Amino acid sequence: MRMQGIVGLTFLAFVVQSTIVPWIIPGEFAGRIVPHFTLAVVLFAAMYHSRHSALLLGAGFGLLQDVVFRGHLLGLHAYAMALIGYLFGLLLERRRSTMMMALVVVAFGTLLYELALYYVYKVFQFTQESLSWALVDHILPSLFLQLAFALAVYIPLRRWFQNLAMNRYSKKEPE
Amino acid sequence: MISFILFIAVIGVSISNRSGLTAPEKFLRDTTGFVQQWFYKPAGYMAGFFQDIGNLRAMHEENEQLRMTVAAYTRDKVKFNAMEQTNQSLQELLHFTEAQKKINDYKFLFAQVIAVSPDPYNQTLTINLGSKNGIKEKMAVITDEGMVGIISKVSEVTSTIMPLLELNDQAPGISATALGKQKQSFGIVSSYNKETQMLQMTKIAADDPMTKGDTILTSGLNNVYPEGLVIGTVESIQDSDFGLTKTASIKLAADFDHLNEVLVVQKPEAIQ
Repeated sequence: MRMQGIVGLTFLAFVVQSTIVPWIIPGEFAGRIVPHFTLAVVLFAAMYHSRHSALLLGAGFGLLQDVVFRGHLLGLHAYAMALIGYLFGLLLERRRSTMMMALVVVAFGTLLYELALYYVYKVFQFTQESLSWALVDHILPSLFLQLAFALAVYIPLRRWFQNLAMNRYSKKEPE
Repeated sequence: MISFILFIAVIGVSISNRSGLTAPEKFLRDTTGFVQQWFYKPAGYMAGFFQDIGNLRAMHEENEQLRMTVAAYTRDKVKFNAMEQTNQSLQELLHFTEAQKKINDYKFLFAQVIAVSPDPYNQTLTINLGSKNGIKEKMAVITDEGMVGIISKVSEVTSTIMPLLELNDQAPGISATALGKQKQSFGIVSSYNKETQMLQMTKIAADDPMTKGDTILTSGLNNVYPEGLVIGTVESIQDSDFGLTKTASIKLAADFDHLNEVLVVQKPEAIQ
């Protein structure tokens, strides 16, 4: 039941980032500000729930992204998102992360994700642009949107995930 | 480590130009598309509403302009009817086969965009028509301004558009020509340069009459894409590395942000 809630929420983030956000972004920034809301939810799951749920969410929704918007490669988003979710989960799962910490994690996670995408596409020669251009063109502008989103959902998501994690531990103890 | 090997394997499989989709892929795409269309359209309406309020003042001028265009259109329509009739009688005289007569008889399917990919290197669009509606891979997609892209993947009730922005040297290009010089001019639109925001048109002969400002159309020569779709205008022409051919930079005609409705061009079934 609870895991279903998280999956539903991530799916909502996925749908919103591919349908509503393109309409909100003004024309001159279209294609430059790219939302990665599912990644933000995955990172929150890594920080406040568990690294395993982050791994599963990342792999599942990355694969969904890969399949639905099937372009050049299959499996890239799934691999990148799962790996980043798991890594940050490994580092921060047991700590009580503050809001600043959460924002920094989301920023670094997104940066890492974008760099991974860039280098894989570069290696397979689907893009010819230079790294510095890619940074200025879309990686940094997208980061601002990502941070704004993370800030907006920080309190409800943290509360929710921590409740879920707490319930899980309290259930396990009596057994 | 195992996961890394798996990742390379999956990418390797997907890169080898496997066409068509498997059943689970189609199912996943269609169900997601079904949900996405509830969101994309209302969001578009809302955005359009606010834009309209902003544009209220420009409305009067636009109306005037549209009236002029309609007048010009009706005038051309008369001409067009006469030309079509002569064309038909000439075709009869020259004993055209049924297939030859129908070769330019394109059908336009009206489609709604339902989602945009949030991946800067793979900006595909999803539309709400699929193989059920007669969509096939490699059909051209246009708006009223010009060509937008090509259908790249098709499932039952949704399909994916690969926009011209994603053209690269790995995929086969689009053969193109210049308006008014269709007989002498030829080149291949091969890739899009994101840094200059221009399409690259290569393999233009050194004695080609194409000049700056020409409108570039699809030539229909390779028999994959329809003929006469507007791609863009020539911005500059340079000699290529060896000087044997020329390369042109083309500014795209279609506007790619906030796409809502597109037309899929369906070629007549080839009679062979």
